[in-house]
Amino acid sequence: MKAKRPAPGWLWFGAPAAIALVLPLLVSSAFAIDIFIRVLLFAFIGVAWNLIGGYAKQLSLGHAAYFGLGAYTSTILLIRFGVSPWIGMLAGGVVAVLASLPIGALCFRLRGPYFAIATIATAQVLMLLFLKFRDFAWGAEGTTIPNLGNSPLMMQFDAKVAYYYIALALLAIGLVITYQIERSWMGYYLVAVGEDEDAAEAIGVDTLRIKRQIYMISAFLTALAGTFYVQYIYFIDPNTAFSFNVSVEAALVSIVGGIGTLWGPVVGTVLLEATSALLQSWLGSGHGGAQLTVYALILIAVILWRPSGLLGVLTNAYAHIVQARPAKREALIDG
Amino acid sequence: MIDTLAQAVVNGLLIGGIYALVSIGVTLIFGVVKIVNFAQGEFVMIGMYISFFLAARFGIDPLLSLFVSMPALFVVGVLVQHFLIRRVLALGDMPQIFLTFALSLLLVNVALLLFTADYRTVETPYSEVAIHLGAIYVPLAKLIAFGVAMALSGTLWVFLHSTDLGKAMRAAAQNRDVAMLMGINPDRVFAVAVGVALALAGAAGSLLMPFYPAYPMVGQVFVLMAFVAVVLGTLGNVTGALIASLMMGIAESLGIQFVGSDSGLIVVFLMLLLTLALRPSGLFGGWLR
Repeated sequence: MKAKRPAPGWLWFGAPAAIALVLPLLVSSAFAIDIFIRVLLFAFIGVAWNLIGGYAKQLSLGHAAYFGLGAYTSTILLIRFGVSPWIGMLAGGVVAVLASLPIGALCFRLRGPYFAIATIATAQVLMLLFLKFRDFAWGAEGTTIPNLGNSPLMMQFDAKVAYYYIALALLAIGLVITYQIERSWMGYYLVAVGEDEDAAEAIGVDTLRIKRQIYMISAFLTALAGTFYVQYIYFIDPNTAFSFNVSVEAALVSIVGGIGTLWGPVVGTVLLEATSALLQSWLGSGHGGAQLTVYALILIAVILWRPSGLLGVLTNAYAHIVQARPAKREALIDG
Repeated sequence: MIDTLAQAVVNGLLIGGIYALVSIGVTLIFGVVKIVNFAQGEFVMIGMYISFFLAARFGIDPLLSLFVSMPALFVVGVLVQHFLIRRVLALGDMPQIFLTFALSLLLVNVALLLFTADYRTVETPYSEVAIHLGAIYVPLAKLIAFGVAMALSGTLWVFLHSTDLGKAMRAAAQNRDVAMLMGINPDRVFAVAVGVALALAGAAGSLLMPFYPAYPMVGQVFVLMAFVAVVLGTLGNVTGALIASLMMGIAESLGIQFVGSDSGLIVVFLMLLLTLALRPSGLFGGWLR
């Protein structure tokens, strides 16, 4: 008899990819595209966070550090040296990887809540430092990013759709990397570390090394998101680049969707952003706090009733609908 | 120079008293219930709004509203323990960290919805009064806040050391399983620990009101300080948290005085990161003392 049949791998990637690729052709309002870009971007940040937070269960609340470093690196290179943000984006990733080494060395000595607190502190220190860097990083006022018109080589486009496809590409990269890691020896080591660090250490996993490596990848990806974001909004200041909200959303979307799962952050972002968009159209703007109030309530509900995330609910429902019939038939045959 | 230095130390010490109330609460909950309460700062915020509305509506002095904010927050603490924290105690790190984190997010944003982001202040007859000790200037409201904070910390110490319930809490902090075998009811002990911790946060809020504005995000200032103090003072150690809080207040104040007005927090965070690098178990070691 056959075990429960999971959906084939190409379907998991193919169906969402097809929908995502044609979506801007179907919906062309700037407002909607803007929301889609947010969804893709935060899903990508969530995917990056999920590598360290979800698989290795190192609950970082400081990913804004890498988002901000990515944003500042590309912006400084662009404005001071005229370097294209495409190169700046990679440079930002490298800077983030370098920064993740000392930060990781410090924070990985700590477990659970201590780790979370230490990561908050590192992101805050970076924000406070950039507030002080008036000479080369514009201090608290920040700066606008010069608009060069439609120049794809400088990551600037007249059409919003272009940003949509960049964000989509980033998310795809994040998902493919996660998929590859999940299936490699690293993935198994990561899950071992996440399940029980001491036990993993005892059976010979170099837990510190594995945490450091996955943290580097996570930091790199998060920095790419930072560059993309400031290029998209044409503005940077320490409060935007190192916003605590970025750290929070990165963790939030993953937890709501399901930490340590490939699609969890994507499902979480779609659910949260959809709720947020509905809320906005219902209440109108100008209700400061409404969106995060609802996010917090969803988060509390998920933690109390579904700590493994909502992705599980969806796959169960899928299994129920699609596989109910064959299962029944098999049951008859078995009987 | 000596005067500026002394002035900075006094300023830091006085605000350190408030940090102590918040961090003692955090360390008490961690010691007994083994949960880091990310929402502790938000309970300071609630204490502040209670005092603000009592002052604005009924003209009650913020120091008197201590007798409302403390019991009110004790009750909130018991409810939070019973309906929220208790349900994640058997679960892993993620739910334990993110539950109180979500609570913090919720309280800030509900406050934003209800009260807007406006700064609220209360003028008291002593808000502008200061005592001069030589060249040093001691604002009366801050001195009172410091005095009450120290008195409350002392009361807690006596409570932990000389009452049955207090001893039960320390026992539960040292070894939960053995404490239960000795007949200690964990639900009751946990509820009291969270209740007392929140009452201290409420007290901090009321004490702050005569000289500090209330706004929805105000708690974040205090909770960050408290986390650093709690790590410096060793998680779960009440006396350690108290001493560390006073040190942090002074360090922050010296940073503001000698490095720049926006450098207080940098000094504090660097202290945290240095401690984590050099002595991650904190300066004091041990559990509830």
